Amino acid sequence: MSRKLLVVSGAAVYLFLYLPLLIVVAYSFNDSKLNAEWVGFTWHWYKLLLDDDSMLKAAGNSLMIALTASFASTVLGTMAGYALYRYRLKLLPVLIMAPLAIPEILVGVSLLIFFVAINLTLGLGTIMLSHIAFCVGFVAIVVRSRLSGMDESLFEAARDLGATPWQAFRLVTLPLIAPGIVAGALLAFTLSIDDFVITFFTAGVGASTLPLQIYSMIKIAVTPEVNAISTLLMLLTLFLIVVASRVSPGSVRGR
Amino acid sequence: MIRILLIFILLSVPAFGADELHLYNWNNYIAKETVDRFEAYCKCRVIQDYYSDNEELLAKLAAGARGYDILVPTGNALASLVRQDALLRLDKKLLPNLKNINPAYLNTPFDPGNRYSVPYAYTVTLIGYNVEKMRQLGLPTDTWAVIFDPKYLARVKGRVTVLDSQRELMAAALKYLGYSANDTIESHWDRAMRVILRAKPYWAAFNSSSYIKELTVGNIWLVHGYSNDMFQAQNDARAAKRKFTLGFSIPKEGAVLALDNMVIHKYASRPDLAHKFINFMLDGKNSSELTNMIGSGNPNLAALKYIEPEIAANPAIFPGKEELKKLEMLQDLNMEQRRVLNRIWIKIKIE
Amino acid sequence: MGKNLGKWLISGPPVLYLVVFFVIPTLIMVLASFRYPGEYGGLAPIMRHDASGAHINLTLESYQEYFSDFIYSWLFLKTLAYAVITTFFCLVMAYPLALLIAKSARKYRDLLVLLVILPFWSNFLIRIYAWMIILGPQSVFSQLLNGFLGLFGIDPVRLLFTPFAVVVCLIYVQLPFMVLPLYANLEKHDPALLDAAQDLGANGWQRFWRVTFPLSLPGIYAGIALVFIPVLGIFAVPDILGGTRGIMIGNLIKQEFLEARDWPFGSALSIVLTVSAMIIVGLAALAARRRVGRDV
Repeated sequence: MSRKLLVVSGAAVYLFLYLPLLIVVAYSFNDSKLNAEWVGFTWHWYKLLLDDDSMLKAAGNSLMIALTASFASTVLGTMAGYALYRYRLKLLPVLIMAPLAIPEILVGVSLLIFFVAINLTLGLGTIMLSHIAFCVGFVAIVVRSRLSGMDESLFEAARDLGATPWQAFRLVTLPLIAPGIVAGALLAFTLSIDDFVITFFTAGVGASTLPLQIYSMIKIAVTPEVNAISTLLMLLTLFLIVVASRVSPGSVRGR
Repeated sequence: MIRILLIFILLSVPAFGADELHLYNWNNYIAKETVDRFEAYCKCRVIQDYYSDNEELLAKLAAGARGYDILVPTGNALASLVRQDALLRLDKKLLPNLKNINPAYLNTPFDPGNRYSVPYAYTVTLIGYNVEKMRQLGLPTDTWAVIFDPKYLARVKGRVTVLDSQRELMAAALKYLGYSANDTIESHWDRAMRVILRAKPYWAAFNSSSYIKELTVGNIWLVHGYSNDMFQAQNDARAAKRKFTLGFSIPKEGAVLALDNMVIHKYASRPDLAHKFINFMLDGKNSSELTNMIGSGNPNLAALKYIEPEIAANPAIFPGKEELKKLEMLQDLNMEQRRVLNRIWIKIKIE
Repeated sequence: MGKNLGKWLISGPPVLYLVVFFVIPTLIMVLASFRYPGEYGGLAPIMRHDASGAHINLTLESYQEYFSDFIYSWLFLKTLAYAVITTFFCLVMAYPLALLIAKSARKYRDLLVLLVILPFWSNFLIRIYAWMIILGPQSVFSQLLNGFLGLFGIDPVRLLFTPFAVVVCLIYVQLPFMVLPLYANLEKHDPALLDAAQDLGANGWQRFWRVTFPLSLPGIYAGIALVFIPVLGIFAVPDILGGTRGIMIGNLIKQEFLEARDWPFGSALSIVLTVSAMIIVGLAALAARRRVGRDV
C-alpha cells in the first residue's frame, strides 16, 4: 500500500473517530437546551452539573466500580493468563474465553436471574461482581499473549540456576509480563467504566452508574449537561493517562 | 489529581446519616422546585429514578428491585401491585391532607377504599402537534385517523412518533376502530394490530420520552403522547422562541385517562418519609405547583384556586364533563391476556 | 506434587470465580428457558402441587413459540446482517489505520494507539448520542447532504431513526475493537520480510497481499470476533437511533425481561442467539484454521 494512501485513509478514520466527540464537546458550551443549532457560548451546563448530585454520584459510582473491578479482575485475570500459558488444562481456555465469546446481553440476563435466584439484592455489589466476571477473561488474554511472546528458556534458566518456582516467577516472569498486566488492568478499567449492557441488567435501586444515568437522560430529554459530563470525563481520563505515563513510563507504553 | 479522584469516591459513598427518600416516578412528572421545597421541609434528600411505562415499573419490581420508597403507578398497574401484595398499607393518620382530594377520584376499583394509594395527578393520552405544519399540510387534529390512516400519514411520513407502550398504543388503535380501550376480544386486537402495522411505515419511532424534545426542536410534527409532556414541549418551544407553536387535543373517538397514584413499596426503607412526602404532595399549594409546572390534571380540590386559569381552562389538561365521557381508564390484564398482547407487540415491533 | 499445588493455587481462584459468576448463572438461565413465567413476572416454581401431588413444572413452550413463527428467525437474520455489515466496514476502515500506526516511527505509535482508545473513555452512550446530533434533520451534515441531493432533484432523505443510522453508529462504537488486535498483530511483523520481498522484486501491492496480509490473518480473525459477537446482542444503538425499523434481537430480549416480564421466553431467545453465535464463530474459526494452516 502506498504510504500516501495509508496516511490519508488513516487520517480519515481518525476524523471519523473524533468528529462526533468534537461535536459533543462543542455543544457542551452551547447556550441552548435543545442541542440542535448553535446559539451562543455558556458555562451554564457545567455549573448545573456541579449542582447535580445524582449525576456526580453516578460518576463516583462508575469510578469506584471500575477501580474495584479492574483491580480484582487484574489479579484473577493474571492468574488465569499465567495458568493458560503454563499448564495445559483442557477446559480452562474454554471457561476463560466463553464469557468473551458470547453476546454481552446473555451475561447480563443470566446474572440477573442468578442474583434474583440467590436472593442477592441488586446494587453496587452485584454490578462489581458482574464486571469482574466479564473482565477476567480480557485480562487473562492480554497477559497470556504477553507471556507467549516471552522466551521460556529464561524461566528454565532461572530454575537451573537454583531459583525456586516462586523466585523464578517473581524475578523473571513477573517483570517481563508487567506491561501485559498493566495493559490488562487498563483494558479492564475501560471496559468496566464504559459498560452499559451488563450494568443495565444487574443494577439495583440507587446504584446508577454514569452510563445508566446517561441512557435515561438520552431516552428522556438530553440537556447539554450530558455533553458537559462527557467532556469532563474525557479530560479526567486523559489526565490520568498523562499522570500514569509520568509515574511509570513503561506501563503506558506497554514495553 | 488524586484529590479529584477522592472527591469522586467520597461522593459515591452514600452520606451516612443523611435521610434519603427514593422516588420512582414517571419522567417529567414532578417539578424540581417542588422537590427542592420538600427537601428543605423534611431535611432529607430525594433520590429520583424514572420510568416511561407502567410495564417498565412492574418489570423492574418483578426483577427484585428493592429500595424504592414511593412509586407512582397508574390505576391498572396499581391493581396489579395490590394483588401482588407489593405495597404497604397507608397510615391515614399521617395523611391529614387526604381530605383535599376530590371524592370522585377516591375509591376506584383499582384500590377500593384507598388502603394503599392516594391520587397524585392525571394525564390524558392524546395527540400533540406542530400547529403551523398541521395547518400547512391540511391535516385534522381532532382524530386518531391522523396517526393511523395512511391517507393522512403520507403527508407527514417520518415526522410522527407514537408511544413505546403496548397498552397505550393498542388502546389508541382500538379507540380509532371504535372499540373500548379495554377491549380484550382477540379478533379486535388483531384488527388493531393490522391498523398499527399499516401505519408503522409512516412513523419515525416508538418513543415514550424524548418526543418532548423532538417536537420542540421541530424534527417531529405529530405525536401520540401524554398531555403533561405536550404541555412541557409547548412551554419549551415558547421559551426557545421557536418559529412555530405546539398544540395538543383529545381525539373525538376518545382516549385514555391515566390516574396516577402515590403508593409506598412494601420494601420501603423509609415509610415515615414516604408518608411525609405523600402528605406534602396532597397540600393544595404544593399540588398546584405540580399542575402549574408540568401541566398535569389535578384531583386536589384545595389546589384549584392556585392553578393558573389558562391551564385550568385547557380541556386537554382538565377535561370537562363532555370530554370525560370519552375518556377511559385502562384495566389490568391477566397473565394470559398479557402474553397474547405481548406476542402482538413483538409482531408490531419486528414486522 | 509441588507443580500440581502451584497449578491449583494459580488456576483455582479464577476458575472458581468464573464457575460461580458465569457457569452457574448460565445454567440457571438455560433452566429458566424451560420454565413458566410467574404470574407477575419472574419465574413460576419448578414444582407444581395440586390434588394429584407434585409435578415438575417445565415446558418447551418458549422454544415452540420461537420456531412457530418465522418473524423471530427473520429478526435474527436481520441482526446477523447488521453484524456482518458492521464487521466488514470495521475491517475495511481499521486495517489502513492499524497499518499506518504499525509503520509509524516507534515514538509516535503509543500516541496513535492512545488516540484510538481515547474515544472509548467518552462512554459508549455518548458516542451514540453524538450520532443522534449529527444525523438529526437539523444538523449541518443532514442539511449539506440533502442540499447536495437536491441539486440532482432527489428528495431529502431522513437519516435519524433508520437502519442506516444504526449501522453507522455500530461501526463507530465497534471500530476500536478491530483496530487494536490488528495493530497488535501488525506491529510484530518483521520488516526484514518486506525488505526481502522487495529484493525479490515485489511491488508495494504485492508486498502487501503476499506478505503483510497473510501474516495479519490472526489479527483479522481476532478483530472479527471482537466486533461481530458484541453486535449480535446490542440493544442501545437500535433503541436510540433505530426508530421503527431498526430493531435487533437484543431489543427483543431486553423487552422480554424489562417490559413483558416473560423471562422464560427472554432466556430462550438469548440461548438461541448464543448457540447460533457460537456455531457461526466455530465454523469461522474452523475455516480460519484451515486457511492459516494452508498458508503457513
